[in-house]
Amino acid sequence: MKLGFSAADEAFRQECAAWLQEQMDGPFADIRGITNLVSKVDRRRLWEQQLAAHGWSCIGWPKAWGGRDATLAQQVIFAEEYARAGAPNRINHIGVELAGPTILAFGTEEQKAKFLPGIAAGTDIWCQGYSEPNAGSDLANVRTKARLDGDEWVVNGQKVWTSLAHFSDWIFVIARSEEGSQGPKGLTFLMMKMGQPGIEVVPIGQMNGEAEFNETFFTDARCPADSLIGSVGDGWRVAMGLLAFERGVSTLAQQMQFRNELDAIIAAAKANGMASDGVVRSRIAKAEVGLRLMRYGALRMLSNTDLSAIDGAALTYKIQWATWRRDLGELAMDVLGQAGEVVDGDNYHWPMLPNMYLFSRSDTIYGGTNQIQRNLIAERGLGLPREPRGNL
Amino acid sequence: MDFTLSDEQLMFAETAETLFYDLVTPEHWRKLMESGDARDAALWNQIVETGLTLIQLPEEAGGLGLGALDFALIAEKAGYVALSEPLVDSAGVAAPMLAALAPDDPVLADPAASIAIQQEEGGLVLDADSAAAIILRKGDQAFVASPDQVTLTRRESIDPMRRLFAVEWDDSKVQPLGQADWDLALDRGAIFAAAQGLGLAQRAVDMAVEYAKERQQFGKPIGSYQAVKHHLSTAQTAIEFARPVVLAAAATLESGDIQSRARISHAKIVALEAADVAARTSIQVHGAMGYSWEVDVHLFLKRALALTSAWGTPYFHRQRVAARLFTQPVGPSTTFARENENG
Repeated sequence: MKLGFSAADEAFRQECAAWLQEQMDGPFADIRGITNLVSKVDRRRLWEQQLAAHGWSCIGWPKAWGGRDATLAQQVIFAEEYARAGAPNRINHIGVELAGPTILAFGTEEQKAKFLPGIAAGTDIWCQGYSEPNAGSDLANVRTKARLDGDEWVVNGQKVWTSLAHFSDWIFVIARSEEGSQGPKGLTFLMMKMGQPGIEVVPIGQMNGEAEFNETFFTDARCPADSLIGSVGDGWRVAMGLLAFERGVSTLAQQMQFRNELDAIIAAAKANGMASDGVVRSRIAKAEVGLRLMRYGALRMLSNTDLSAIDGAALTYKIQWATWRRDLGELAMDVLGQAGEVVDGDNYHWPMLPNMYLFSRSDTIYGGTNQIQRNLIAERGLGLPREPRGNL
Repeated sequence: MDFTLSDEQLMFAETAETLFYDLVTPEHWRKLMESGDARDAALWNQIVETGLTLIQLPEEAGGLGLGALDFALIAEKAGYVALSEPLVDSAGVAAPMLAALAPDDPVLADPAASIAIQQEEGGLVLDADSAAAIILRKGDQAFVASPDQVTLTRRESIDPMRRLFAVEWDDSKVQPLGQADWDLALDRGAIFAAAQGLGLAQRAVDMAVEYAKERQQFGKPIGSYQAVKHHLSTAQTAIEFARPVVLAAAATLESGDIQSRARISHAKIVALEAADVAARTSIQVHGAMGYSWEVDVHLFLKRALALTSAWGTPYFHRQRVAARLFTQPVGPSTTFARENENG
């Protein structure tokens, strides 16, 4: 067991740090430090294309598809240096982290050739069509219908909480292709072009004043018959396989953002004198400890090469970071005091810490609520019996 | 960067696990509590024969000269069975200190001899009466004595299997060892307490999971109900995240720099928190049985409580973390990469 990196890895660190620094100091200085996913989208598309042009857009992918076959250590290093340089959060993280790996794992050669180059090049932005008004925690209760009509699928229904749908080029959708089927059976995983007449996107405002997610309505929306991953009725397996990719290296980049947020709290506490309060000091120390736990937890998780085994760290990672960050938001506001209540300007546009406090209220909800996470940990990890579900 | 354990490390841990699971049973705990004995002779002989007391001892002193990570894996297994034989503090903390200060001390030549250590000046000493030698502290100076050179008074611990003693001693009648590295002793004691905490926590959860699968109410196993299983998930999550930091802290303990010290404190805080939440949860899941003396969960609650205060309280360790945070520069150039430098 070793915590450090090899000399070759450190040389790689120098290489990516230098390039990122140069970009963020120079041509892309205007988008440095943006953490949300909705500001300056046009500039950020160019940035992601710039990453691709220099081979940095999906370094963990195979070389044949635009990646670098980067080792885990290199992916960790790149994620760290990316965040350290203040490069903006990736607007195509769903394409690079979810759609791409899913197509690589389950797609046909034709599908790889059709979809991967656009993701790797940063020209195709992807979003995820999973949740519906009646399929949230009970995700398998999907009602959106897909019907084969000649050489096309015709899709009708509604998705919701579709992050980034308002500027995405592609969406992957789980839809019920078998009339009368229930739960995880009879679903098909489809990849559909956005911007077509049958797909309407309506942004949903968030409590922090931003709008990253949307309602997505499908009215006779269409895609070619070969747009499915896996086979007809096998969509649930693909959808769940995709979720396993969510525990990717991006968790480490996310931790760098958390690091910046905690550092901002420390700086604020020093500036306003709260740093001398014993309770605040203890809470800050506790937050620091929690951040280190996540780091070692993620490194341990990523070191696990046996992805088929039930991995306790992977099962518990979501609830751990979400709960930690929700607590961090509360700590931020307690440290800021009244300064956290007011915002300069009239645009309801919040500085980092109050915005983080507001945003963090969603952390324990999206991507599986804390309650659903605890069910998964108990049932898959600890082997406790399932609670009877109403519709199964 | 590699979080995998070596075959040798896994082999030692597995040996300890087999030995402990076979011999450190609920009957064994009952026997020790009723007799008041410091150790079970047969068990102790096997611990010694398998070399577990030699892991942290330098090769010059007849030991195996392995690192803190190797021993932490053993301590984790010891925690899982709430071992009360004097293995962890003796072989993990006291023996390496004695070897550093008095490598020729005859006690070191006997692998079956246990060594007790006083964590802080005037503090209580664990397993002092059964030790072949007791390391005592005055300021930064260390002394060594045999139990008959000092006056020992038993002090009852909340943990019925922990044997604590007040020590009265006259420094003219004991052997001075000179100035000792008490910070290193604290780090070792803290990381091995943390490792035991992981074991305690996992055992408490395992006991509760077994019970929740068996015990039926409203016609179903109570473990099927979310109100019950969510508590256990929370406890298991605490364990999953405490373990990597304990291993990382143990792996870098020897470097003794500010980063590795902070890591020890992180590990000590969270592993004993995990043990505490797991034990409390386990009691709640066991219902009224959990409050009874007969069901063993209370032993884990009590051991967790005792180890939480041993080798630096949570307050002490949080202050160590906070002091580092508030005295060092913050910002992206000082964060994760820097800690890798000593890895």
